Amino acid sequence: MTKDADNRSAAPPISGGAIPEASNIARAPSRPATDRVYERSAHDLHAAAGLIALSVLLDSAVEHYRGSYHNKAMFTPLVTATITLTATAHGLRAPAGLGHAGRRGIFVLAVATGAVGTGFHVYDILAKPGGISWQNLFYAAPLGAPSALIVSGLAGFLAEHIRATPPDESARVFGHSVSRSAALGSALALVGTSAEAALLHFRGAFQNPAMFFPVTLPPVAAGLLGFAGLRPAVGAYPVTQACLTATAAIGLAGTGFHAYGVARAMGGWRNWHQNLLDGPPIPTPPSFAALALAGRAALRLLAHDASRAGHTPARAVPP
Amino acid sequence: MRCHADTDTVDFVIVGTGAGGGTLAARLAEQGFSVVALDAGPFFRPLLDFASDETAQNQLFWTDKRVSSGTNPIKMGGNNSGKAVGGSTVHFAMVSLRFRPEWFKSRSILGYGADWPLDWAEMWHYYSMAEQALAIAGPIHYPWGPKRPRYPYRAHELNAAAKLLARGCEALGYRWSETPLATVSAPRGKSPPCVYRGFCRFGCSTNAKQSALTVWIPRALKAGAEIRDLAMAGRIDVDHQGCATGVHYVREGQWRFQNARNVIVCGYAIETPRLLLNSETACFPDGLANSSGLVGRYLMTQANQAAWGRMEDEVRWYKGPPSLALTEHWNYEDRGKDFFGGYCWMGQGPLPIEWVSVQTSARGLWGPALRTEMMDYNHQIGVKMVGEMLPNEDNRVTLDDDTDQYGLPIPRITYEWSENDKRLINHALNQMTMSLAAIGATRIFPQDDDTNHLAGTARMGFNRETSVVNSDCRSWDIPNLWICDGSVFPTTGGVNPALTIQALALRTADRIKHLAARREL
Ligand SMILES: Cc1cc2nc3c(=O)[nH]c(=O)nc-3n(C[C@H](O)[C@H](O)[C@H](O)COP(=O)(O)OP(=O)(O)OC[C@H]3O[C@@H](n4cnc5c(N)ncnc54)[C@H](O)[C@@H]3O)c2cc1C
Ligand code: SF4
Repeated sequence: MTKDADNRSAAPPISGGAIPEASNIARAPSRPATDRVYERSAHDLHAAAGLIALSVLLDSAVEHYRGSYHNKAMFTPLVTATITLTATAHGLRAPAGLGHAGRRGIFVLAVATGAVGTGFHVYDILAKPGGISWQNLFYAAPLGAPSALIVSGLAGFLAEHIRATPPDESARVFGHSVSRSAALGSALALVGTSAEAALLHFRGAFQNPAMFFPVTLPPVAAGLLGFAGLRPAVGAYPVTQACLTATAAIGLAGTGFHAYGVARAMGGWRNWHQNLLDGPPIPTPPSFAALALAGRAALRLLAHDASRAGHTPARAVPP
Repeated sequence: MRCHADTDTVDFVIVGTGAGGGTLAARLAEQGFSVVALDAGPFFRPLLDFASDETAQNQLFWTDKRVSSGTNPIKMGGNNSGKAVGGSTVHFAMVSLRFRPEWFKSRSILGYGADWPLDWAEMWHYYSMAEQALAIAGPIHYPWGPKRPRYPYRAHELNAAAKLLARGCEALGYRWSETPLATVSAPRGKSPPCVYRGFCRFGCSTNAKQSALTVWIPRALKAGAEIRDLAMAGRIDVDHQGCATGVHYVREGQWRFQNARNVIVCGYAIETPRLLLNSETACFPDGLANSSGLVGRYLMTQANQAAWGRMEDEVRWYKGPPSLALTEHWNYEDRGKDFFGGYCWMGQGPLPIEWVSVQTSARGLWGPALRTEMMDYNHQIGVKMVGEMLPNEDNRVTLDDDTDQYGLPIPRITYEWSENDKRLINHALNQMTMSLAAIGATRIFPQDDDTNHLAGTARMGFNRETSVVNSDCRSWDIPNLWICDGSVFPTTGGVNPALTIQALALRTADRIKHLAARREL
């Protein structure tokens, strides 16, 4: 790939435009270019973390209401997701450095809450007759839901790391490059989200062919993203990028499809107070868009890594 | 809807539009035959016509005059017969089970009852077709019997009563399963997913239930069949060559006659023999298709006894379809039995009036005692069996001297449980009681008198001497007279019959197509 790097610099790839500051082609990126890449990536990761937290907040509010909040612990994700959401909003706007430590703490809390929640949900499944069975995977507390909070926390955590990294240093987390961690993490989260959609759409017997979208395209995007995270970084990822864009589109369209699903339940939207609870969950599909956003941030960082290493210009990075 | 004049000679006139008749109307019309299907009951529009009221929904049941006699008279009405377009499936409990393969040869393999002139493997194919057509919501792996294709829809969420059944089975070391049900767990066409309100046996007002009314009748109409509701058939005419020529029926107070090249009777185990017996002529003095003398004989019902108890925690058993979980353990286990046949048991969720009637009939409660007991409604738990009763020639339907509102002689039903039936019931009551005790239920009591589904009275078989119809559901005596409903069962098995009836009707439709192609109709 690196062989034609020079050709590419002569005819810049079209994958999503260029960062203005970086448009003067250079072998090593300038400080402001790095600044910009870090800033944008942190921004997108914050946004992704926020979107997922919002989805967790709305979804757990509805689902735990459905479960009558019979256990007080069922309020936890609401509280944590709200705090996480606030932290991401703050992170998106606050000047670098301000509130960093506090937000980091909150993101760690989100990860911990997600982990404990997963424990609760596993226990709920095991305690039911049949244990680990399709019945319980379908209808007991969903395994994947609390891990969304973990993903949100991790995305926020990475965003904080990137923000805290001086432009002349390469961003690293626990000794690993942030770009790779973000790529692999987003890929894994996409696979997980897809797996949950697969489980629940299987429960719905794939009665509408559109239900196959979220279980086919995102895994492909995840595969490409994971591949990108494992391989030496290159200057541009047009195919991966396109797949992530499509994944985001599916996520947004999914909300529309789920709204249609609510309409198909008895009484449709007129009976929203029941059908919002029992119909397909409207807040969950945008998680795909959030993860696609995180994936794009990862690609941007990877491309930046490549340009730092002097392989390709940093301009082939999406905005 | 395409309509025919009475004077049109249609290819098929079908009497009854339930599990048998509804399925045939759809499949025969889809094959290009002209079809008129008569039903004595109304053509309900569930979204408009069904009330969430147990009493109002008695409109679905066949409550015409009948005499029930014998040592163990069968209680007739809502628990075993419907009168509506869609037949009993309009208020059936949607449990959709396959026969155990050996039951098709229970005489030769298991040593009791009679063999069916059908091969189980062929029936397995038609079961699959029926399950697809009805979008059965069932488990991923059904624990009993030979492999079957995946159910088209996923099993429903278990309610508390079903989970308790599961715990009871686990305590006894028996397998249990989500029950394959004919109600959708996700949208399907115009059917919204089930809303778990538990009114199933009083007609499903959402159309989530996949009954003959919501599945086969729309298909029949689309393919050009005419469904004539409130049309009570009173007599089948036969010409001097011994062929059926059509059906006399009463509609809007007028007797009319529909000409047809073939007549298919699908009125279920009481009305089918009644119509055949009421159609006697000089050539057929004992009624139609009755040279064997077996029309009306070998009536079978299924044992429907229950064990009830009380849980400390709230159960709210009325939520959802009543039978969300079941065990077929004693259908597939032959060891340790002192009887022939099998039974399954499944979760229960009687609505309040039904529950009152259990309390008054099984326990004789009344007044303050009944009132106190009813306060515990949300804590009640119960399991009910569907048990195989053996065919007995003397359990039968005959004609009574009395007549009904149409002036037709009414059926007299005579029934007696055999010693085998009683042993099976005792075994089941013991087992069910144990399963309730094992989960800590208190105040357990048996309900030992109930029966439900019907079968027999026009049995299929291998020859004209010992049966009424052949394996194609064609009568031995009159080549263009067919019978295709629960009455052709030679044995009834230990599972609910509707899926088997529909599989049988699918096969019959295929056979008719085949015979027509060979000009053998
Ligand atoms: C409360 C209840 C719950 C049940 N639950 C289940 C279950 O969960 N699973 C299961 O497998 N089975 C169940 N069944 C049994 C199942 O519904 C019947 O076995 C099945 O519907 C019988 O099919 P059929 O075609 O023989 O008769 P039906 O479905 O009863 O149809 C007969 C039709 O013929 C009409 N008819 C009869 N005589 C005449 C005439 N002379 N002229 C015009 N029309 C006539 C009747 O009006 C009726 O509509 C249940 C039954 C009841 C009553
Ligand atoms: S519980 Fe489901 S199948 Fe039964 S009546 Fe209600 S919606 Fe219909």
